[in-house]
Amino acid sequence: MASANCRNHLKCSHLRFVLAGLIVVLPGVASAQSNSVAFSDLVSKAAAARIENDLPRAIQLYSQAVQMNPNWKEGWWYLGLLQYQTNAYSVSRDALTRYIALVPDAGPAIALRGLCEFETGEYGSSLQDIERGLSLGAASQLRNEQILRYHEALVLARLGKFQDALRAYAWFARKGITSAELIEEIGLVGLRTPKLPEQVDDKGKSLFVAAGNAAYQYMARQESEARASFQKLFREFPAASNAHLLYGYLLFEQHPEEAIGEFKRELEVTPSNAGANVMLAWACLMQNDPSAALPYAKRAEQEEPLLPVAQLVLGRSLVESGDVKIGTHYLEKAGQLDPENLEVHIALARAYSETGRKEDAWRERMESLRLTGTATAPMGNP
Amino acid sequence: MSAWKASASQALRRRQWEILSVVAALSSMWIVFTSALGKMPQQGSASGCARCHPAQEAEPLTPMGRALELPGTNATLSSHPNLTFHKAAYTYTVETHQGKSTYSVTDGAHSITVPISWTFGEGAQTWILERDGHFYESLVSYYPSVERLDITTGDEGLTPETLEEAIGRRLSEVEVKACFGCHATNAVINSELSLRTLKPGVRCEHCHTGVESHLISEALSGGGDLESAPPALGRLSSEGISNFCGQCHRTWDLVVRSGWRGVSNVRFQPYRLANSRCFDGTDHRISCVACHDPPQTVVRDEVSYDVKCLACHAASSSNGLVASPGKEEGCPVAKSKCVSCHMPRVRLPNGLMTFYDHHIRIVKPGESYPY
Repeated sequence: MASANCRNHLKCSHLRFVLAGLIVVLPGVASAQSNSVAFSDLVSKAAAARIENDLPRAIQLYSQAVQMNPNWKEGWWYLGLLQYQTNAYSVSRDALTRYIALVPDAGPAIALRGLCEFETGEYGSSLQDIERGLSLGAASQLRNEQILRYHEALVLARLGKFQDALRAYAWFARKGITSAELIEEIGLVGLRTPKLPEQVDDKGKSLFVAAGNAAYQYMARQESEARASFQKLFREFPAASNAHLLYGYLLFEQHPEEAIGEFKRELEVTPSNAGANVMLAWACLMQNDPSAALPYAKRAEQEEPLLPVAQLVLGRSLVESGDVKIGTHYLEKAGQLDPENLEVHIALARAYSETGRKEDAWRERMESLRLTGTATAPMGNP
Repeated sequence: MSAWKASASQALRRRQWEILSVVAALSSMWIVFTSALGKMPQQGSASGCARCHPAQEAEPLTPMGRALELPGTNATLSSHPNLTFHKAAYTYTVETHQGKSTYSVTDGAHSITVPISWTFGEGAQTWILERDGHFYESLVSYYPSVERLDITTGDEGLTPETLEEAIGRRLSEVEVKACFGCHATNAVINSELSLRTLKPGVRCEHCHTGVESHLISEALSGGGDLESAPPALGRLSSEGISNFCGQCHRTWDLVVRSGWRGVSNVRFQPYRLANSRCFDGTDHRISCVACHDPPQTVVRDEVSYDVKCLACHAASSSNGLVASPGKEEGCPVAKSKCVSCHMPRVRLPNGLMTFYDHHIRIVKPGESYPY
């Protein structure tokens, strides 16, 4: 319920979001061109109904107008927008799809369609649209960005992409944006629990809040507070699965050695934890020690053979320790399980390149570059 | 009993004799060893290696050999003893006197001065500064192209709000190790920063691990001990070499993973090279070391690289292309200075440094910078 409140609160902002979006969209929208008097009349009446906030009538009139002139961009946009406001998500999505066909790079419309798809449970498409919308400038204002990033995190959690979801939530921590719901959702994602906050009982809630709070502090760069919070979490919930994995994951970038210790502690709590084995293998690979990575990678793959990252670390460990042929097989399997996984394409590019498969290597490189888009991250140090 | 005593006594004497023999042997070995060490120049130094590898004697004078300089050796700062730069509310000064340099920043009311202990880069120079137990990458650097200070490449977007922030970007532990690990030798031991053992610049043993034990073996054996030689890097595949050099020059993987797009990535040569259509991870004719000899100074003469291109591509003549079985198509436009067109020089957005783009390609007029 809390989560629903949070979403509702953010959803109230959608109108502001889409109106802000209009600032971007409208300059690109051609005005109605029809010479038909009937069409002009419909357009005027639809606009009037919209301005008067008579949504059912406005929707009816815009529907008639776009039937009469299917190339009327503005009509599709308003139709999608108004239907979204009336919670008619699937028809809104379809209207926006017609609009996007006419204006392919309309970031706000693509993002709004992503929000519709979130509501209709089409999480894969939703994620794709939200991310594309963001890349096309849909988050031109902080408020818009907040809505989109929040839904991006929710979608990633629904898709079971917990680490990616945690990264999305990190945006809120860095901006200092917080709420009780957000903290609990971070806790759920951090402990890799495929549940909604409303599905958690009070006993479970204290665990997720404690984990979410500690992770939030770390992501907000309050490192000493986060360290204390994690130690408290471990004392109060010594048997909680994935708690050490979460801490290790957060530590990994800046304190890899400490992170490795946490992953090993996770295996003491939950010996069959594939995620901890994956991270240990990954840590070894990052230290250019594929032989040390191999046993962890093998265990991860045995525990969860359908986990793409388990296939990935096993493939990489084998390729980098000289067993390129079998390693490539695992990498290709990882690619089948998760075709959009950047690390898989990077690893495949290297494996193909090492074996003289020049064209395949080049294809994988180009695919990796496609996946990373055109976003330019700041390049530190000379 | 007495027989036993006699036997025990004999055994004891025999044992003592054995111990003495071992000590004597060890002592003589130690004498040989220390004598060999005495003959041995500084371990792993170019002069040590140059006894058998004379071509590498100039290594400490190369840009890689001078990738990090200690106080007293910085000729650039000695010849520019008073450098000043203004950025927003802050004024930076780098002063050098009798081989010692200081880096100062002031906001007009207060100032911070830090000694320059480590200069990074042989051309453009950035300083890693230590203050109160933390390391900072100086916010301004020296650029030889303009012979003055300017904002450090990559830090253009930083807007310091305090005097301390104005010193430069505070580095994380991982970044400090990465900086010293690439620009110096023996600076990171067992994953820990070790400034005590640091040798400035990229020395032989930076890349050729095991040089020191090889030198000791050589000294003890009197030379010719090939078994102890470090693994030959030349045996790595082109892909392997690219990843090896990329540990410092940035690998293709790292640049892609980090999302570093745009003109600024032109300085990450292994990434650019791997994006070339002609890059083949198993073909030794296209790799970092096919064109560059790391212990030597970089060759700047564009013509000298033509032979590298012609290893794969057919030559062209004034009358047109020369047919050459088994080779890639030649160039219909020119017959020399291939790199001048196919690896164009690209200026960084700050306009202060220029690099050859290692993404080898047919550059079309007006095309945007790829990837």
